[in-house]
Amino acid sequence: MRLSDQKDIEIRERCEQALARLHALQPSLNAVVTFCDIDEQLEALKEKDPNGKLYGVPIVLKDNVSTKGIRTTASSRILDNYVPVYDACIVERLKAEGAIIVAKASMDELGMGGTNKNAYTGKVNNPYDTRRISGGSSGGSAVLVAAGATAVSIGTDTGDSVRKPAAYNGIIGVKPTYGRISRYGIIPYASSLDHVGYFTTNVEDACTMLEVLAGRDDRDMTSSLRPVEAYRDHLNSDLRGKVIGVLENVQEVIRDQAIRDNVEALCEKLAARGAQIRRVRMPQELMETILPVYLTIANAEATANHSNLDGIRFGMREDGESVEEVMKNSRTKGFSAYVRKRFIIGSYSLFVENQDKLFRKAQKIRRMLVDHYRALFAECDCILASAAPTVAPLEDEASDEALGKEHLVADNHMQLGNFSGYPSMTLPSGFVDGLPIGVNITCRPFEEQMMFDIAKAIEEETGLADHTVEVKA
Amino acid sequence: METFDKEYFQKLAGGIMLDVNDEEVEDLKQEFAILTSQIQLFDKVDTEGVEPMIYPFEEETHFLREDVVDHVLSQQDALKNAKSVRAGHVHVPKVVK
Repeated sequence: MRLSDQKDIEIRERCEQALARLHALQPSLNAVVTFCDIDEQLEALKEKDPNGKLYGVPIVLKDNVSTKGIRTTASSRILDNYVPVYDACIVERLKAEGAIIVAKASMDELGMGGTNKNAYTGKVNNPYDTRRISGGSSGGSAVLVAAGATAVSIGTDTGDSVRKPAAYNGIIGVKPTYGRISRYGIIPYASSLDHVGYFTTNVEDACTMLEVLAGRDDRDMTSSLRPVEAYRDHLNSDLRGKVIGVLENVQEVIRDQAIRDNVEALCEKLAARGAQIRRVRMPQELMETILPVYLTIANAEATANHSNLDGIRFGMREDGESVEEVMKNSRTKGFSAYVRKRFIIGSYSLFVENQDKLFRKAQKIRRMLVDHYRALFAECDCILASAAPTVAPLEDEASDEALGKEHLVADNHMQLGNFSGYPSMTLPSGFVDGLPIGVNITCRPFEEQMMFDIAKAIEEETGLADHTVEVKA
Repeated sequence: METFDKEYFQKLAGGIMLDVNDEEVEDLKQEFAILTSQIQLFDKVDTEGVEPMIYPFEEETHFLREDVVDHVLSQQDALKNAKSVRAGHVHVPKVVK
């Protein structure tokens, strides 16, 4: 489904049809946390410009996006009763362009995970095979676009949480440059890595969505002052003269031959269109630190960010004899065991005696990784690699924390996009055993136009624009 | 080097207002074994003279502004999500007894 579809259908009917699809998919996908009331939004739409880029378009938001008057849980028990009193910046922007929010989607609790198994409402299922995971943490948003419930949805990406589920579900997932989209009103995870992202089924819609979402917002101190471009109007899939670097550290550790061959075949096609394909490498010992660097920084920042979740001013409060006991009981019962463990690891790396050898060390290695990564872009316009080394794993296969080389490098390389802040997106690139696989491309900061141009060429070669899947019950 | 035992994990958890049970302590022991081996990967990297990277970009995007009232949250809104409210305040168990 694309944004321009169903324009001939009256807006209320279009939104009701989207809601009906969401309800029909819920038993098989378990992707929705809250179905939204559309009446007030449709009333408010009468005041909006009918030429808005998303006028009357139903949209799904990840449940860490604050929505005034609509429950926002971040898939955590501690926020199960939380109803924001203000809209996130991106909600203001979506509404200004006429979007209608039809649902809040499941996620790994507070964004902490890559499987979407750890949500308070349970595992989200992959629409291609419901025994498999959706990937996470933006799993609910991803599967609903993949299953054709809505044309677009919003996710967030701290360590590939948009781009990995996009790969597992055969759709486009975009994480633009750090600071390109305001995070005001997004329930944070790790502030130095957090990005707003989104899902679509085609590159044109990806351009339109960034035009809607991007732009300066004084309420996010990292928000960029750079102007937003007319990405869609300028879209140009001519690859002549463009240099695409294939990240060999990733490709060489992928065990699945079909996934490696998929990238090779794609590169041949891109070369035939005039692109120069180069093989590029990062220092191997640095690549193997990506996951521990990510976990150290993300867990530490999350521990600090989530210290305000204590049940006192908002959220689920448990009883206790003292304020401390109320906080401790609320936090212990409010978070899953998985998230509590990650907080404890975060707390460990923030202990004064551990800060230099862990937290500061991770921040220093982050700089080294980014310096080497930046150097690749001196000779390349884009870095390309398989988005994941496998198809979506079965529920019991999916692990967030293993130590194998394939996992350390090929399953986590997209975190380079979070460390560096560079724009990065995943596109569907084919199928293995009937399950989707994806390719990831990353460009220089604020060169989203270049990224979309190359993505368009890839999309033309794969022929997978607008692809969705019918869910078998 | 710390001993990763129940007492240590309870101290870590208590510092961030959490409790851990015996089963979770066993899980944490396994997690910390993985963490320790991951940290050994850090030791292979010489970071002498490298500055920590705090944010992706170091160009200035925030500025001091005039101290003007902006984006005000009303008292009613501020209290909307609190479980217990009395006399216009969030109510908690007595601190001074």
